[in-house]
Amino acid sequence: MAIAIFLIAAVMAVAGAIGVVAFQQPIRSVLSLVVVMLALSILFLLLSAQFVFVVQIIVYAGAVMVLFLFVIALFGPARELAKTQLRFQSWLAGVFVFVLLVLIWTMLQGIQYRQPERADLGVFGTVQSIAVGLFTTYLYPFELTSILLLVAAIGAIYLSRKKIDEPEGGPVDGLRSATGTGGEPPPSFKT
Amino acid sequence: MNDLYNNQVGHWVIVVIAITALLLVVLTATAYTVWLERVALGRIQRRPGPNRVGPFGLMQLAADGVKLAFKESFIPADADKLLYLLAPTIAVGSAFLAWAVIPIGLWYNVQYWIADINIGVLLIFAVSSLNVYAIVVGGYSSNNKYSMLGGIRSAAQLISYEMALGLSLVPTFMIVGSLRLRDIAEYTVHWGWYNGAIPLIILTPLGFVIYLIAAVAETNRAPFDLPEAEQELIGGFLTEYSGLKFVMYYLAEYINMITVSALAALLFFGGWNLWIIPPVFAFLIKVILLLFLYIWLRGTFPRLRYDMLMRLGWKVLLPLAIANVVVTGVILVATQG
Repeated sequence: MAIAIFLIAAVMAVAGAIGVVAFQQPIRSVLSLVVVMLALSILFLLLSAQFVFVVQIIVYAGAVMVLFLFVIALFGPARELAKTQLRFQSWLAGVFVFVLLVLIWTMLQGIQYRQPERADLGVFGTVQSIAVGLFTTYLYPFELTSILLLVAAIGAIYLSRKKIDEPEGGPVDGLRSATGTGGEPPPSFKT
Repeated sequence: MNDLYNNQVGHWVIVVIAITALLLVVLTATAYTVWLERVALGRIQRRPGPNRVGPFGLMQLAADGVKLAFKESFIPADADKLLYLLAPTIAVGSAFLAWAVIPIGLWYNVQYWIADINIGVLLIFAVSSLNVYAIVVGGYSSNNKYSMLGGIRSAAQLISYEMALGLSLVPTFMIVGSLRLRDIAEYTVHWGWYNGAIPLIILTPLGFVIYLIAAVAETNRAPFDLPEAEQELIGGFLTEYSGLKFVMYYLAEYINMITVSALAALLFFGGWNLWIIPPVFAFLIKVILLLFLYIWLRGTFPRLRYDMLMRLGWKVLLPLAIANVVVTGVILVATQG
């Protein structure tokens, strides 16, 4: 049963990954990437990492990819330019892929596949075990990451706010404030 | 029965039958939610509402369904056909998937649910967060400016309110100490002489208020129905959809409405525990009351303007939800050590 689910999820992931680079329309590439994320989440679930499974869907499929989709929808249905833009790059990419595959294949020789230990499957990957890890062993990296994200968010707010303050920025319609600038709407929009 | 359930094949047979039964129940519930909404809205506006087809207009939805099924299947010119057809499917799929983990009741040792997993609430959030694709992709692929605006509005709205929705439930999880919906519904307290189940709304009233507002916004219902605001966007992302594809979007919207009502009943009102009323019926009563609350909101509140919507989400609900988490944490540490 598990091996069948693994094969389905793996095929989904690979097909989605091919779709990301093969589709001409950006929106289809984004949706292919969503398929990859969903397939990966199923693989996490097979490894009994339940919390990672759900977070993978909520964060990547539910939030990050929606932002991608949002940007692409704003730019409208643009098509990618023809293949003539790439001259030798595609050949180079092919060589790199081949080298990488050979490297991975040689690395994988002699690796023993095994099931995770049955004993700690009850607690492994649960919300509790991840929370214990985050708030004890990895407390400092966890807090530092949050500060990093805070700095990035404040920076983004500062950069986008500067543009809105300029007089020729024009009236801020619903869409512009919706992109999360955090700036106060201009006086005309105040209730 | 137990032998059959523990049998390898019998287990699957029972699960498939249960899934089919649940599908029918949810579909029927959806149809009668629409009926309830139309009648209740009619009464709120001092008109009778549907009352011609069948007794009390109860067959109105069957008539509407037949009408919509025989409509011409229409695809706008230059639409992205594949995505245009895929979008309603995503909507219905993500709406139904949430019901895989919603427990309806525990009655005479029979469990009325499909799966009882220890991350139940998170799974519902994960599945329902995919709903935004249906709306954005539908709006994008219709090749219509109104559809596109509706889709983009929806993406911004859903992302904004998902944060408040998720954070509003954190105090509940902190009090119960579990994400399993069954544990939350059966939460019991030992306060002096009182030993027993209590509805969690007593412990996190603010959480319930934030959940209610954010859930209305998440399901695109009035007064947060900006993605399909008919006065300014014709029909938003729904503009170019007709016939059965339109039905699928509407089905998804009403299933989502029932899902958030059921979740509220489980998370804040003790699920299927209600005095002497049999468990499954108690759950049903709570869900119907919450659904009526939704309809009541639609009938009485005017639609918010877009900047008001964003300000409410980011500047009011989100800080309140975070404060609620912090205060609940402090109280929990103070009382339990």
